[in-house]
Amino acid sequence: MKSGNNTEKSRAGNNGEKSNPESDSATSRATSRPSRNNRISGFGTMLLRLLSVFVVLHVLWGLIAALLKRDMLPSPLVVYRALFKLDGGDMLLNIGTSMGRVFAGIALALIVGLLLGLLMGRSPRWNRLLDPVVYLTYPIPKIALLPVAMLFLGLGEASKIVMIALILVFQVIISVRDGVKAIPANTYDVLTSLGAGRMAKFTQITLPGALSSILSTIRISLGTAFSVLFFTEIYGTEHGMGYFIMDAWLRLDYPGMYAGILLFSGVGFLLFVLVDLFEHRFMKWRA
Amino acid sequence: MEKEAAILTPSVAGKSEDQALVARALTVDYGEGPVLGPLDLHLPAQGIYTVLGPSGSGKSTLLKAAAGLLPGFGGSLIYGGRPIGSGKAAGAEIRVGLVPQNYGLLPWQTAIANIRTALKIARPDEDRARREATALRWLELMGLSGLEGRYPRALSGGQQQRVAIARAFAIRPDLLLLDEPFSALDAVTREGLQRLLLESWRQQPSTMLFVTHDVEEAVLLGRKIVILTSSAGHPVLIDNESVFFLADEDKRDHETFYEQTRHIRRIMREGR
Repeated sequence: MKSGNNTEKSRAGNNGEKSNPESDSATSRATSRPSRNNRISGFGTMLLRLLSVFVVLHVLWGLIAALLKRDMLPSPLVVYRALFKLDGGDMLLNIGTSMGRVFAGIALALIVGLLLGLLMGRSPRWNRLLDPVVYLTYPIPKIALLPVAMLFLGLGEASKIVMIALILVFQVIISVRDGVKAIPANTYDVLTSLGAGRMAKFTQITLPGALSSILSTIRISLGTAFSVLFFTEIYGTEHGMGYFIMDAWLRLDYPGMYAGILLFSGVGFLLFVLVDLFEHRFMKWRA
Repeated sequence: MEKEAAILTPSVAGKSEDQALVARALTVDYGEGPVLGPLDLHLPAQGIYTVLGPSGSGKSTLLKAAAGLLPGFGGSLIYGGRPIGSGKAAGAEIRVGLVPQNYGLLPWQTAIANIRTALKIARPDEDRARREATALRWLELMGLSGLEGRYPRALSGGQQQRVAIARAFAIRPDLLLLDEPFSALDAVTREGLQRLLLESWRQQPSTMLFVTHDVEEAVLLGRKIVILTSSAGHPVLIDNESVFFLADEDKRDHETFYEQTRHIRRIMREGR
């Protein structure tokens, strides 16, 4: 993929200066084909690598299970059998409930974090005011506030969502702020001289300029959000992936527990891929 | 009837006067001594003015002030009777086509999207189809047909510069401001773009300020040449019509061109 882009660029550079539209478009047509082929083959190798890692992990798992011969680590075969025996509708409800909480938590963190991060990135005054607050509260292990959240918000959905948001919001604030700060000031010059309003500058420059750091925060946040979700689903709920896994564990249903863990991981992986696709779509200009 | 004519005549005669770019005691100071000025200038509308001067003479600062990008300055800067704002107010009434030194293209927008964005802001009253046609036409005039879907990173320096120039012309600006636009390009590319710039300007004349540190470029392009000196002093305004109206092909080899270049070099040496 990389080599394809390089040739495209250098050929465009050699050809373009003659201000000959014919040759320019011919160049772009000629080079777009190999680069697409490269992309497809790049995707193929990626898939192959992922698959081989998947297989190796399962072989390792099977080996350890065979060596241990204990209930607490069933073989992959047993676990997959348990996985396919699970009630589809029930699991869908569990997955749906968990996803709803994760999305609500991330959305809340993004709304607050984007707002504060953009404010701090664009205005030195707000940054001076809020920076010490973020600096002081960032290192607090927020998961320790779980009992506090439960006391104030009860055992229901609110405390779970707020907990996820609370843990994510700080890294969102910091990375958005730094992303916005990293946009060179003169990027705004042309639109400013045209008399662009705040909204136009925000949608045309600040947001796309900071999007890459926003996306990488979401990627990191996703992992963290799932961990926190697991904790919060231990209490006060009868649905959700965390609940399912803990419940299976307490019932000593180890194959079911592992099946839950597999499913949980699968959902996490899908979300990861989703962020990647999103990035691929909106970060094309960096390729 | 006579009375009517009397009212009409001065307003018609005064039109180009009205559209002039006028600086009165323009001073820019960031708190460490003046960066520019005090500067007095009177540049009638629809001319190409090249601004020459050594680094530190405030060339770029003058351009920024005209683009309305400075938070504040002393004195006044007026275009067509309207003050160029300190900051935001500039674009609302005066359309500014700015071509910065680094081309100023948004990297996340394709060539045509960059022009589209500028047009949407500068010409909100025009319908979308018309703006699209304008953008395509200027890209074509700049010899960029077929490249409109490319992101700036996939374009060469000269191509990016042409996109930036197409964008500046597409909005039909009152003021066209170029900040050393060709300084990072190789000689052949530069000559091609200088010619393209002149042709485009003849198709759609505006008041153009062209900042450069290259004496030959200044003589080649300018109708008048503004020489800023590093020590605060009055700028020297040089009439360059004798070269300006030569045919493009002959300019570089013409005796008048050499003479003018020598003349300006001498002024710059002695003015320092």
